[in-house]
Amino acid sequence: MVEAIAVASGKGGTGKTTATLALGMALAEHHDVTVIDTDTGMANLLFHAGLADVPTTLQDLLQEESSLPVTEAVYHRFGMDIVPCGTSLEAFQDADPSRLQAVIADLAEQTDVLLLDSPATLGSRDAVLPIVIADRIVLVVQPTIPAITDGLKVQEYATAYGTGVAGLIFNKVHDPEEVSRISERAGEYVDGPVLGTVPADEAAREARKAGAPLLAHAPDSEAGQAFTEVAEAIDVAPAPAEGVADRFRNAVIPDGP
Amino acid sequence: MTTPAGQTQFDRVVMSIAEPLEEALETELLGYGEVVPQAGLLGDSAGRCLLWFDGGVPVSAHHTGTGRSDSEALADIAATGPYRVRLVAIDDPEELQDGSLAPGAPAEQVLGDPDLASRTRAKADADEQTAEDEDLDAVEAFLADEDKIEAIQKRAAMEARQRAEEWDLAVED
Repeated sequence: MVEAIAVASGKGGTGKTTATLALGMALAEHHDVTVIDTDTGMANLLFHAGLADVPTTLQDLLQEESSLPVTEAVYHRFGMDIVPCGTSLEAFQDADPSRLQAVIADLAEQTDVLLLDSPATLGSRDAVLPIVIADRIVLVVQPTIPAITDGLKVQEYATAYGTGVAGLIFNKVHDPEEVSRISERAGEYVDGPVLGTVPADEAAREARKAGAPLLAHAPDSEAGQAFTEVAEAIDVAPAPAEGVADRFRNAVIPDGP
Repeated sequence: MTTPAGQTQFDRVVMSIAEPLEEALETELLGYGEVVPQAGLLGDSAGRCLLWFDGGVPVSAHHTGTGRSDSEALADIAATGPYRVRLVAIDDPEELQDGSLAPGAPAEQVLGDPDLASRTRAKADADEQTAEDEDLDAVEAFLADEDKIEAIQKRAAMEARQRAEEWDLAVED
């Protein structure tokens, strides 16, 4: 039984990777969690999780000639399984992102929750693939008009692919109390609940510098506590893994003869 | 691609884009940098990369040769220096091309310079804080405008379906 959740934003710099790892660690208290860096163009999860020097990453699994078992790129850290993506430009150019489906289908058989750290753009087929193959998305936005607009756009894309919305997180908020006056209104436009408001917190930057997820580095920080509460508000709904594999197969129309 | 009118404030051949990125950050450039890799200088029509800045912080990139954007456009110019770089402060802020480029991406991805990336992100955060304080009233007004939001949603839904067709992705009926 597994649920694939894509953490998405539509805009860069919203703290999506910090959010993904925080949610992963919090959900790992009750579920088997696998976090995958599907942002192949701008991989940075490896730096957040102290995995910058690992020998094998998702990039290697996506190489056309790859026969590596998926487990080679899975690292058990901080109570969860993490599949980082590498940053080599050559490997990026040689990678075939459409292989992502097969890799994720494999990983889906071994976990309860798959968290996909998604690219911060809707600009290409590869970039939207995580949203296409997820069961639901979690939107991470800042309380600004461009960020909310982009978040709403991501929601429409998800809806078009039949992907649900688990909720929205206001992240890196400088004045959470002030933001509470817009969150209810914003919630009216989101298909899921507003899961919470996470304050801007120096602890998040320090955690990134230290190469550790926020909930490992500073679990009692304001942002850390807020993410823990957000994770509690996510009602994980695992479905049989075979269904996920089917969904992956059906999501992408095969090339014609 | 035509670029908007403005004042050139930097125009030279550099081995790496470190200097122009520093210059843009220091002068809080609102405009763009035109990055022409060596191949382009030699007359090869490999294209150029337009890197847009808001307050000195990179916000989007577009490569005219490959047609790719943001981090993919950066990948297209990485390791292709020297470059001729021109920084232009645009006259009309409305012409800024916003995108989804992470603020530290050019420094990190093209230069491998974590210090510059970190300073750029810090500037982006500081700008955001100011913007958030000023903008919350605007956000509230924006969210109260149901017609406008509905229009955004409809347009995005239509765009999602069009793109899905281009990309051979299955959509829900």
